[in-house]
Amino acid sequence: MAGSLKAPSPPRWLLAELTYACPLQCPYCSNPLDYANFSDELNTEEWKRVLKQSRDMGAVQLGFSGGEPLVRKDLVELVDYSHELGYYTNLITSGYNMDEAKIIELKEAGLDHIQISLQASSQELNDFIAGAESFEHKKVVAKLIKKHGYPMVLCVVLHRQNIHQMKDILEMAIELGADFVELANTQYYGWAHHNRDQLMPTQEQLNTAEAIANEYQESQKGKMKIYYVVPDFFEGRPKACMNGWGTTFLTIAPDGLALPCHSARQLPNFDCPSVRDHSISEIWNESKAFNYFRGDDWMKEPCRSCPDKDKDFGGCHCQAFLLTGDAANADPVCNLSPQHHLVTDAIDQAAATSSEKPLVFRNSKNSKTF
Amino acid sequence: MSLVTDQALHLVPGYRLQWEKAQDMFVLLYPEGLIELNQSSAEILQVCDGANKLADIVQTLETKFETTGLENDIINFLNIALENGWITQSA
Ligand code: SF4
Ligand code: SF4
Repeated sequence: MAGSLKAPSPPRWLLAELTYACPLQCPYCSNPLDYANFSDELNTEEWKRVLKQSRDMGAVQLGFSGGEPLVRKDLVELVDYSHELGYYTNLITSGYNMDEAKIIELKEAGLDHIQISLQASSQELNDFIAGAESFEHKKVVAKLIKKHGYPMVLCVVLHRQNIHQMKDILEMAIELGADFVELANTQYYGWAHHNRDQLMPTQEQLNTAEAIANEYQESQKGKMKIYYVVPDFFEGRPKACMNGWGTTFLTIAPDGLALPCHSARQLPNFDCPSVRDHSISEIWNESKAFNYFRGDDWMKEPCRSCPDKDKDFGGCHCQAFLLTGDAANADPVCNLSPQHHLVTDAIDQAAATSSEKPLVFRNSKNSKTF
Repeated sequence: MSLVTDQALHLVPGYRLQWEKAQDMFVLLYPEGLIELNQSSAEILQVCDGANKLADIVQTLETKFETTGLENDIINFLNIALENGWITQSA
């Protein structure tokens, strides 16, 4: 097997994707296009086993996500159990089905933090992108989250259709009392990859957005932390793969598939293992999928002889697969990649796409067509 | 924010200091974040309990480790921790 001989470092982060069900329909969702095929969710006892085994190995940060984790009836029970195990528990939610009673119940169960996502700073655009009337309710929920003493991250995914609202988004974050703001440019996996032509911003939009982010980072210093995630397509160098493949992060999909990253399900011939068949330690230490990109034996040129290979690990393997068909190629976002033109072509193609071209929304009906 | 010597120090709400057996170290946990701490940083953060001021922290640690002259290192670390938003001060 490729990879080093020494035992891998233990997982520190566990992402528990409790369900693919979601009342919203964001067209940039990173869930797989064919998520509707994986409806056989882990039950409460199976999740508890995953939580316990991962904690025993060293995982300490825990994200409950989805889909929409609030859809799960056993969410409070799982939070309670995780808290008891000593996890720092994060709920990553759209806020759609949240109410004050639930916020209190989760607090009592030991939930440490809530990340709430909004789609835009105006009702019209928020509700259009989310595919459901949700803007006013989300703002109420954000205020309740603060009222009950949680630290709050406000997350907005940026793309061509909302990035012009940057200033208003940041003003809204201040008004809602966010402690952290995550302004994440869309990453093109899953549904976002499918809708890339309609979502990719222009260089000009990005320049403006970045200047606004910098301005607010300065003026909000000590009050609200602002993370502005630059889009790798425009950077010339890839972002590092998850702190190194199989070194830190462990994702468990709703049906129990264990993934080195949330979009690894689509990689062919990876045989991602299921927690229904294996323990977390077997999965982490021994499985083909988790060992695949450990170390650098797997690397090809230009990465193999590149001085930056320990910095970005060749970039994103899922992106390399999506764009070049081979996950072991250099991430074509890198301008040293012989296939970098795929990225510049994608930018040109998106720029030439008419604003009339409709987005494909993430819902079960559309999912079943993939 | 820089260090005010006559105010008590404590972790910012939402931050948690925790001993991790699997890694044999203290970690600082916060929303979607994790910092692995070396021993001296962990010792200092443990006594940022909302009652101790700078002088108390220095004295507690110098007593605990039967040494003197820690003040400068402690001030340096506290300033970093304040700048990063891990700890805060109250009168
Ligand atoms: S050639 Fe490979 S290792 Fe070097 S910067 Fe590009 S992606 Fe990273
Ligand atoms: S391969 Fe890409 S999507 Fe997967 S973990 Fe690495 S960076 Fe993330």
